[in-house]
Amino acid sequence: MRLIRTTKTKLVFHLSQREKRLWREVLNLYPRIPPAHQPLSKFGRVPDREGTQRLLDEALAEQRAENRKQVQSLLADPGRVQETETGCHLSISRSEAEWLLQVLNDIRVGSWISLGSPEGKLAGLNAKTAPDFWAMEMAGFFQEQLLEAVGGEGRRDA
Amino acid sequence: MAGIATPEIAPAVVQATEDKPKSGLDPGYLVICWNDPVNYMQYVTHVFQVVFGWPRKKAEFHMLQVHEQGKSVLVRESMEKAEHYAHQLQKYSLHATMERDE
Repeated sequence: MRLIRTTKTKLVFHLSQREKRLWREVLNLYPRIPPAHQPLSKFGRVPDREGTQRLLDEALAEQRAENRKQVQSLLADPGRVQETETGCHLSISRSEAEWLLQVLNDIRVGSWISLGSPEGKLAGLNAKTAPDFWAMEMAGFFQEQLLEAVGGEGRRDA
Repeated sequence: MAGIATPEIAPAVVQATEDKPKSGLDPGYLVICWNDPVNYMQYVTHVFQVVFGWPRKKAEFHMLQVHEQGKSVLVRESMEKAEHYAHQLQKYSLHATMERDE
């Protein structure tokens, strides 16, 4: 996946046939972070913690449902993809790139959570962990390409 | 990890707590981003720039603080604004919380 053209509003990427297939497979995994996973407060010193947490969970769930719709709409839109001899050209707007970053990071973080949130390198791949590891790395790969396109080189680990 | 000491509390002494909720407009809430090993540094920088409108240098400073010190206090705001920012950061799947500044 590489950026081949930009305008004020649009980004055009070239994807190989294999990348095109992976792009669809990865995006179809969304969402991966479990519902109600993100606490609003670590120490709980906020008024009406339960109520506020519930509202936050609902807002994130709505956001994910909306993102899911947008992902499906993007994947189903034939106008986004122009076939070439070596793959395809994918067009997305700059605002779509922004929510796609959210989507891809959800897949990456959700897969990491599914792996048991390892602090360092994964201790060993097996039949059970390989799909999650694959999803985490693939989402990260596409995320890096989008980040480079919207302004900066991708580097690991914060 | 060291054991946790049990505080001694004298009988019949009511502890004065600071649990009184602060006003929604009181800028007494911190928005904190916590380190996790899965997010790309560049991604975290990008999210800080988008959510807070910060220049790249400031966003990188806080990203490095998260990376090196385990957390960074991003802003001190009213409860409503802190909630808003924490929600925005969580939309990007960053490990962000809001905490009362005491």
